[in-house]
Amino acid sequence: MTQAGEAFREGYVETDGFRIRYMEAGKGPAVVHLHGAGGLRLTRGHDLLSRQFRIIAFEMPGFGTSPENNRTRDLPELAATMAKAVAALGLDQFNLMGTSFGGKTALWLAAQHPEQVRSLVLEAPAAIRPAGSEPPAGSPEEMARRLYAHPERVPPMPPPDPAVREKQARLVARLRGPDRDPELEARLQRLAVPTLVLFGTVDRVIPPNMGHFYKELMPNCNLVFVYDAGHAISTDRPEAFAEVVADFIERREAFVISRTETVIHP
Amino acid sequence: MQVSYFETARYQVPPTVPAEWPVPPGAYDPETGAKAYQGMVDRVRHVEELGFDWVSLSEHHYSPRILTPNIAVSGSYIAAQSKTIKIAILGPIVSQSNPVQVAEEMAMLDTLSNGRLVFGMLRGTTNEYLTFDLNPAEARERTTEAMELVLKAWTEPQPFGWQGRHFQFRTVSVWPRPLQQPLPPTYSLGTSRESCEFSARHHIGLGVSFAPFEVVAKSTRYYRQECARHGWEPTPEQMLYRANILLAETDEEAHDLLEKQRSGPAAFPMRAGVRDALLKLDQRNVAGEARTPNVGGSLPTSFYGSPDTVVEQIKRCREEVGVGVLDLAFQNPGAPDTGRLMQSLELFAEKVLPRIRDV
Repeated sequence: MTQAGEAFREGYVETDGFRIRYMEAGKGPAVVHLHGAGGLRLTRGHDLLSRQFRIIAFEMPGFGTSPENNRTRDLPELAATMAKAVAALGLDQFNLMGTSFGGKTALWLAAQHPEQVRSLVLEAPAAIRPAGSEPPAGSPEEMARRLYAHPERVPPMPPPDPAVREKQARLVARLRGPDRDPELEARLQRLAVPTLVLFGTVDRVIPPNMGHFYKELMPNCNLVFVYDAGHAISTDRPEAFAEVVADFIERREAFVISRTETVIHP
Repeated sequence: MQVSYFETARYQVPPTVPAEWPVPPGAYDPETGAKAYQGMVDRVRHVEELGFDWVSLSEHHYSPRILTPNIAVSGSYIAAQSKTIKIAILGPIVSQSNPVQVAEEMAMLDTLSNGRLVFGMLRGTTNEYLTFDLNPAEARERTTEAMELVLKAWTEPQPFGWQGRHFQFRTVSVWPRPLQQPLPPTYSLGTSRESCEFSARHHIGLGVSFAPFEVVAKSTRYYRQECARHGWEPTPEQMLYRANILLAETDEEAHDLLEKQRSGPAAFPMRAGVRDALLKLDQRNVAGEARTPNVGGSLPTSFYGSPDTVVEQIKRCREEVGVGVLDLAFQNPGAPDTGRLMQSLELFAEKVLPRIRDV
């Protein structure tokens, strides 16, 4: 099997005083992806989605190889920066996907620019968390146990650079905001963008029973549980993840209507 | 110790009917069927009066042996004909059911029966894989996923989609919910490592069946270990044991009857070629140790003898297996009608039941 993300090509946009890296693959309607607190990591879920869509996976300022970001003060600001990065690519309408911490960022971006976001996909979003939640931390083995339903099935990855991890952890700690953010939640009640919230049934970072809060708050929200997936759904069950995400991006709220043909012989 | 009476409808099979599973439906006699179901209702009322705690039912197909292919229909009819006894559905074969429909039916039954449902989820005996064309290689995984989906359908407050391996639904939003909240007494039924781990993870009970004490004790032990690992301790009532019982006035009489039964027909005998092919494909285990599935073999009788002997056996079962509920399949060997069975139930209620309450 090829490495996840091999077909993706690197690009940069200069905007809002940052030089922002992104990885891009595929043709079709644009899907902008904002990563989780661990930084940009392409998965087989990205590969599968890139067969049908133009996937643009950003590395947000302060993550990965970018310099430490001491400037961005909160998530609305980070979301505004990312909206400018999308605009710099010439996209005025796009689908937006956010993972965990990136899910909360994506919600802010959608709340700021609802007319530009065609659909919103939130993979294990971190916008609503049980009181007292902490971002996962620990050795690579401990992190794998938190993130994946079956860590033993995930191919070994190069150990993360401690300097990058610490830089990212400081930024996330500063930006992640409260476990329940009344200001964001007030905005969500008016956010009519078709939204898909996904949780793995064995998420060990954010309990999957946080999912129903989004559905209760947002006027056009769908909740889907991905069976036997952990926090990193698109790594644990990429085919299941990509199938429902692609269907949702294509048909939005009409994705609930089955198109599966059951005729065995005509 | 709580006691459940396992009801199978007791269709009286004439000796001319072939034993092989599936049994030809042309051999079915409507009058005998009607009589069987009337008898079922009579026995349920009788065991309710005698002080049994539960009546249990189990899903089986294509045979007169256990004539309750639809347990929602059977369970709700019994519930309507009784007042206080718990209706133990042990259980639907979730591997080959629509789990959302199971959640709906069982929630409805719990509510209609005023909170008398006891609910167990089954993978199904090996022969049942043929009933709805279930691939044996998928049976284990489908069972685990279906159980998880049933529980989700009962607990999730908002409509949701299910992106499973074997089940996929874009919209699940079950009404009604069970009357007993947060869950009716719920069990996964099986001796396997997977059943034990699932039950422990979801804080539900474990139901084991038919194998001897030392075998099922491996499962209950492993289940308790797994519960401890998940930070909780099950009550004895969360472990149930379905077993055959042959009760008689004396040990000698019970022994004679047991001998007669040993030469009797097996549970679901199948054509050798099909049986052997299934045996190769059906992977089963007891708390992780591989075991051969029982296809067409007879089942052991764990409790047999006089009331005194049976009381001692039940005490030993409590000590060795740890279960707090016995689900008893009363044997009626060689009897052309159910008269002897009724006597055996009365004998149990009079001479065994009062002496095992504190066990």
